[in-house]
Amino acid sequence: MRVFSVLIFNGREAVSSLRRNGLRTILGLIGVIIGVSSVIAMVSLGEMAKQQARKQFEALGTDLVVIRNNQGQGQSGIGIADALQLADKEASILNSAPRILGNGSFRYGGKEVGYGSIQGVTRAFAGVSKLPLKEGRFVTIFDVNQNYTVVGHTIAEKMLATGTSDLLGELIELNGILFTVIGILDHYEESYALPVHVGANESVFIPITTSRRIDSNQPIDVIIAVADRSIDHETAKSDIQKYLNSVTPQGQFDITTAKELIAQMEQQMGIFTLLLGAVGSISLVVGGIGVMNIMLVSVAERRVEIAIRRALGARKRDIRSQFLIESIILTTAGGIFGTGLGLVATWGISRFTNWDFLISWISVSSGLGTAVGVGLFFGFQPAHQASQLDPIAGLQGN
Amino acid sequence: MLRLEDVRRSFQLGPVTTEVLHGVNLNVVRGDLMSIMGPSGSGKTTLMNIIGLLDRPSSGTCWIEERDIANLRDDELSALRNRKIGFVFQSFHLLSQLSAIENVCLPLVYRGTTRGAARKRAGTLLEQVGMGQRKNHRPSQLSGGQKQRVAIARALVGNPALLLADEPTGALDPETTADVMDLLLKLNTEQGVTILIITHDSLVAAQCIRQMQIHQGRLIEQTASGEDV
Repeated sequence: MRVFSVLIFNGREAVSSLRRNGLRTILGLIGVIIGVSSVIAMVSLGEMAKQQARKQFEALGTDLVVIRNNQGQGQSGIGIADALQLADKEASILNSAPRILGNGSFRYGGKEVGYGSIQGVTRAFAGVSKLPLKEGRFVTIFDVNQNYTVVGHTIAEKMLATGTSDLLGELIELNGILFTVIGILDHYEESYALPVHVGANESVFIPITTSRRIDSNQPIDVIIAVADRSIDHETAKSDIQKYLNSVTPQGQFDITTAKELIAQMEQQMGIFTLLLGAVGSISLVVGGIGVMNIMLVSVAERRVEIAIRRALGARKRDIRSQFLIESIILTTAGGIFGTGLGLVATWGISRFTNWDFLISWISVSSGLGTAVGVGLFFGFQPAHQASQLDPIAGLQGN
Repeated sequence: MLRLEDVRRSFQLGPVTTEVLHGVNLNVVRGDLMSIMGPSGSGKTTLMNIIGLLDRPSSGTCWIEERDIANLRDDELSALRNRKIGFVFQSFHLLSQLSAIENVCLPLVYRGTTRGAARKRAGTLLEQVGMGQRKNHRPSQLSGGQKQRVAIARALVGNPALLLADEPTGALDPETTADVMDLLLKLNTEQGVTILIITHDSLVAAQCIRQMQIHQGRLIEQTASGEDV
């Protein structure tokens, strides 16, 4: 009962003391506000970045599995038919999009229009890598062995720059072989959620069978497969491994699922967020030191007051709690304002980066909690010092 | 009520130990009005700190209402100080940020009295010292004499066994000194408040029933006839 009523009294005194020393209180508050708001903004920024990365994965599909051919040049690796049949033979795989990657120079109308990748693909490849078709059509299975090509955005721009208005049906020379343009791609944005570099803007796409016909030594470098969502990605992975072993026993492949990439990404983002939080915490610590400084000044200034209170019967712990409450009220108020500022800053960042606004409630609660903790931690020393002051010296000091 | 037996107090200043009180004996009984006079450096303040439970003797014993203070923990000493001693200081020592009534409430707050009860009791005390009209004034809005009245109300609010006044009139002009002394004498005669005044003003000391001199760390009581005992 006594403890309780003294605490209430000390709380009331603390508030009026903080009000009385307005400027000093505001300076102390600013330190804590900056600290707490930076913790909240930094951690929310990390969370937003994570959310954004996750969104990119989801846009491509979390069901993708990338099979990379690890064999050296000259080895033919998996055959086209085997690669395409992956989806038919394994129930857990819905689709497969193999690619044969070559390169060369592109000439149009007697002029060089680029040097880049010649990618032998199927219709499915456009789907899994989300190639944006602007005009015409993509290659299909009916284009077997045909010299048809779909040109990337940059190549198309260069072709148009020669004065042609309609590229569909035009002939383009790829490594000296003539191809008919059947489709034109729009600008392609590379996504780091897809662990395959597509580079569509500087590439041309031709039927995979045509690639093999032109150069039979060029192996399939990658297969992008789509797994059944209802099946565990580990199962899909082992199904693929079994299938690959059966068709090319000597083959060496790296199989990566999107889920693994997401997990890896989230782990990295987690470290990133932790780092950001740590950076924010530094300013909170600095703010805490500011509070400690202010409290030490306050204690020094109020030596006589403390001595009077002691003479009137205040115990050491009453004095300690008085100053501790003062610093906790100061930092808690700073924590509340800092949370507000942190949320505003987070919102600002989300507007600036075009990311989804996301409040990390963990950061809000930990920011507030830390503010109270900072008050306790950095307030303890001054409060303890106050409680240990010698009342006799204090009373004579005036 | 308060008893000192062969109280000695020495201070360590570097390698030198200086004894300030050389065996003080004192017996204060309920209802006493007593003064202690002495030049500065005589040990007055040291004695007051011991009587006021702010300090402990180096040797000898100090009893307050039959309790030996030597073995009390700091918290217990604080609690005892709160209940048994009412301080009045030369420079008033009112807290400037608190109003008169809030200042008077302080000893009750540290005792755990509820706010309402404390304010009620403080109001009564302020009426008694003639400050009822100014209970919401801040110390800065009060004159010296008024401040000392508030301080006396604060000293008495907790019903202490002893009102310990350290140079209570030291900062006051002669007229106000007379006022404050009248108030103290009245409290002693009408309410039986035990009062110990430490002063160097012989006019103040002369108004007390028991008069003591402290000289070079020794306390000497003067009889009514003026002879030392």
